[in-house]
Amino acid sequence: MLKKEEPLDPVVAFRYPRVITYKHSLGYQSKFAHALKMGRIIATKCPIDGRCTVPPRIVCPMHHVRQTEWVDQGQRGKLITAFKINFPMFDSRTGELKFWQNPIVAIELEGGARMDGWCAETDTSKLKEGMLLEAVWRPPEERQGRADDILYWKPV
Amino acid sequence: MTQHDKKSVADIPEDPIVVEVLAHSNFLVTVGNTGNKFLTEIRDNKTIMGIKCPACKKVYVPPRSHCPTCFTRMTEWVKLSGKGTLETYTVVRYQEAYMPKEPPYAYGVIKLDGADTGIVHLLGGVDLDKIKVGVKMEPVFKEQREGSILDIEYFKPA
Amino acid sequence: MTAERIAIVGVGQTVHKSKRTDVNTAELCAEAVEAALADAKLTMKDIDCVILGSFEPADGYSGPDKWIVPEIGAVGKAGFEMQNVGTTGGVVCATGFNMAASGLFQNVLCVAWQKMDEAAGAFGRGGGGANEYWTGQFPMSPITNFARRTYDYMTRSKCTEEHLAMVRVKQNQCALRNKHAQLKLPDLTVEKVMNDTLLAWPIRRLHMCPTTAGSAAIIICPEKRAKKVTNKPVWVEDWFTCHQGGALTMAEDPQASTLGYACRKIYKRCGITDPKKQINAWEVYEPASTAELRWIEEVGLAEDYKAWKLFEEGKVGIEKEIPFNPSGGVTATNPIGCTPVVRVVEASLQVRGDAEEHQVPGTINRALATAYGGQGENVVFLLKKTL
Repeated sequence: MLKKEEPLDPVVAFRYPRVITYKHSLGYQSKFAHALKMGRIIATKCPIDGRCTVPPRIVCPMHHVRQTEWVDQGQRGKLITAFKINFPMFDSRTGELKFWQNPIVAIELEGGARMDGWCAETDTSKLKEGMLLEAVWRPPEERQGRADDILYWKPV
Repeated sequence: MTQHDKKSVADIPEDPIVVEVLAHSNFLVTVGNTGNKFLTEIRDNKTIMGIKCPACKKVYVPPRSHCPTCFTRMTEWVKLSGKGTLETYTVVRYQEAYMPKEPPYAYGVIKLDGADTGIVHLLGGVDLDKIKVGVKMEPVFKEQREGSILDIEYFKPA
Repeated sequence: MTAERIAIVGVGQTVHKSKRTDVNTAELCAEAVEAALADAKLTMKDIDCVILGSFEPADGYSGPDKWIVPEIGAVGKAGFEMQNVGTTGGVVCATGFNMAASGLFQNVLCVAWQKMDEAAGAFGRGGGGANEYWTGQFPMSPITNFARRTYDYMTRSKCTEEHLAMVRVKQNQCALRNKHAQLKLPDLTVEKVMNDTLLAWPIRRLHMCPTTAGSAAIIICPEKRAKKVTNKPVWVEDWFTCHQGGALTMAEDPQASTLGYACRKIYKRCGITDPKKQINAWEVYEPASTAELRWIEEVGLAEDYKAWKLFEEGKVGIEKEIPFNPSGGVTATNPIGCTPVVRVVEASLQVRGDAEEHQVPGTINRALATAYGGQGENVVFLLKKTL
């Protein structure tokens, strides 16, 4: 599906490639990023209904109150959904258009929060809802506080 | 309460982090039939063409399909000499990404003879400190043209 | 001071194609504006307010209104530009309705556009999520979002891939009858859909909307003016907009959507107790045709997780019990930012009886049009024939 582009006639259409660097302040989520570097997943907890969200949110969207309590979510979770992408998509790290080998899974963590992650098992037929998965981390020196500090989730 | 809940979060730092994200884009710009004729004439005949509104008789350059004043479709092309008067200009002395030239360079608005609008383009063939408003200018075309507005290298005093 | 009652007096859209090399973006809008003005028999001189919008990151322009406004002859008129991913056209229309209902403007033009042959990797950044830092790292896109939704729907409803294919075939049959639709496949069958290239299970390439270059425009007037301009005004009865968490919420609830919530609010306000009887045509935004199964349930036409049975029984179609997306829907044409305006245009044509070959038979007293964006944001419009 990665088609090679034919040369363009500039009087019909032309391209203008750009690479723009954005600098995003993580703000409240900085603590979450620091925790990822330490090999931990933490979430904010709503004081009204106890629901935890990953990544964390400064305000609970349902109850409109500040969430100041942080709760460790553990290292394991239950599989909710899984899907594999069969077409090329951009890698935000490099800007490269590539095929992704690992499925993306939605997991419910031990602490109750749900999050997305990569899955070690590339055969989706082997993935069943409710399966227990465990986080496999990058080596500590390679972690950057990004989602892929958790390399993938592995069936236990 | 399970084991993980009891793990304290107090030892996790809270210093603000700023992440750098690179956004890569490679957008395509379609010129359209009107623009196509304009650029083709520049490339093939070193001629700048304007387009005339049948209702309000204004001549626009660069050309477009509809008159901005009365929204009438325009189809009448007008060949222009390319010469014009410099209405205003500025000299760019700072550097940022994706500039047409290395600074310092000048660009200005030239009101072409026969047109009712000015055209923005680079200025050259003159000392940056000696550019004067009101001077007659003419286009200098590149030897190798490909069909872009930059086939006109710059406008210089006539 | 109460709001004025308002009506759509003119609609216009371009013939949607995947590529338009003969026009640039501004000229594309001019085509739709010309069509809408011709339909309403008005000129740009009559228009006093212009609301514009498109999904800017997909076209690669920042603030294109500065380019488009002169090319559609709108210099000096009141108005502004807005964008909101897939619901762009929806918020453009909703704002236009508000401007007309305020009584401050007599002829409001709303125009939206999208020229997707110019897009390049726009979805690679922050797939509509509230949290670019996190979600931007996963290659999320409408395809993956709908893969998730559909997989979850199939698990809960026990429907099969065949049912998903039936929806696609029905969409195509409607699109074949719509002269403005882009994707028309002459001999599409259930087998062809089921064997098509897999993008992300269970979404196949045919299930997804195409990329389109297109534009659409509507003209809205308050009551007194509307009655003078046309003898077939399409009255805007109500509209509602809402959204929720975004990509984060998709991990929590794959079926997260605000369509049901928005519809219930509108039904309550307008006294709709039996949507099947009281609403006669539906133009609902669905980026993937498989979403139609869930949307039919959310608008109240079927019980939860049972809509697939309606397709088995052949009850969905232009001349059938449930005329859902008689224009072929978003599956046939999707100029993202502009699509909701196309939905409003198609719903208006249905109410007026002007939809030609894809007209739902009978009197269309009410039509519902929706906009969908991001991960479940919705703008819902209810149009009606008589005040």
